[in-house]
Amino acid sequence: MTDTSVARDLMRSAETKQIVRSAYAAVDASSEKVARKLYSPEELARLPQSAIEGALGVGNHLRHAQIDAGETLLDLGCGAGIDTILAAQHTGPTGHVIALDFLPEMLERTKKAAAEAGLTNVDPLEGDIEAIPLADNTVDHVISNGVINLAPRKARVLAECARVLRPGGKLTVADLTVADEELPPEILTHPATWAG
Amino acid sequence: MAGALTERDFVTKLERAGFAQVEILERTPMGIDDCALYPLFTPDVLDLMRTLIPPERQQTIGTAIVLRAHLDDHGAR
Repeated sequence: MTDTSVARDLMRSAETKQIVRSAYAAVDASSEKVARKLYSPEELARLPQSAIEGALGVGNHLRHAQIDAGETLLDLGCGAGIDTILAAQHTGPTGHVIALDFLPEMLERTKKAAAEAGLTNVDPLEGDIEAIPLADNTVDHVISNGVINLAPRKARVLAECARVLRPGGKLTVADLTVADEELPPEILTHPATWAG
Repeated sequence: MAGALTERDFVTKLERAGFAQVEILERTPMGIDDCALYPLFTPDVLDLMRTLIPPERQQTIGTAIVLRAHLDDHGAR
């Protein structure tokens, strides 16, 4: 790869992050329908309304997460906190969930939702999923829902997950994948499809 | 969606990062109507999708997967 192409890739990477940042910061409509589609009535009953209205994930990975009491979890791209809260309920008071997001607005929502849910084991953390601001080998379990597909450098994100996980650590992810056949270029170049 | 990987590429990147025992636990097709649930998809991009994507693909323009993997040991990285 030439210096020019590296510079161009970094520029695109910065541009993509800015598109995602702007789109998520601008979300002011409720996505309650997403929550009602993905989570069970029992799960929804344990959540504050603000977390339900901010659900932007693509699956319910927590059904398969096998969270143990006392685990230290990292929620990669926590958004408004729906999965952070459910995970914090599973890990209990002896464990905790580090809620990572690059948007202070989202972290504020997660913090408020956790307080509404009566949780004291949620630690909001501002940072980039491509450079997780945590030391090596400090996390038992990484969870993430609909976030990795938004990152320009996915290999870097996964390497960062591996770095912060303890040996034998778990990764449970819901994310969007596509088929080999590409969508039309008019759609692939639309900013809304880089954020959504 | 525009930055999403194929499932095969996702699994390859996980393995290269040092993860093992990668299991795909759920696969759920995502169509244009599913995208419309998210406020991130603006009406103009939804219209563009309905116009440009062939009708037979409109119910599955992507697939939401749930996967689980384990980090075997740090020597794998």
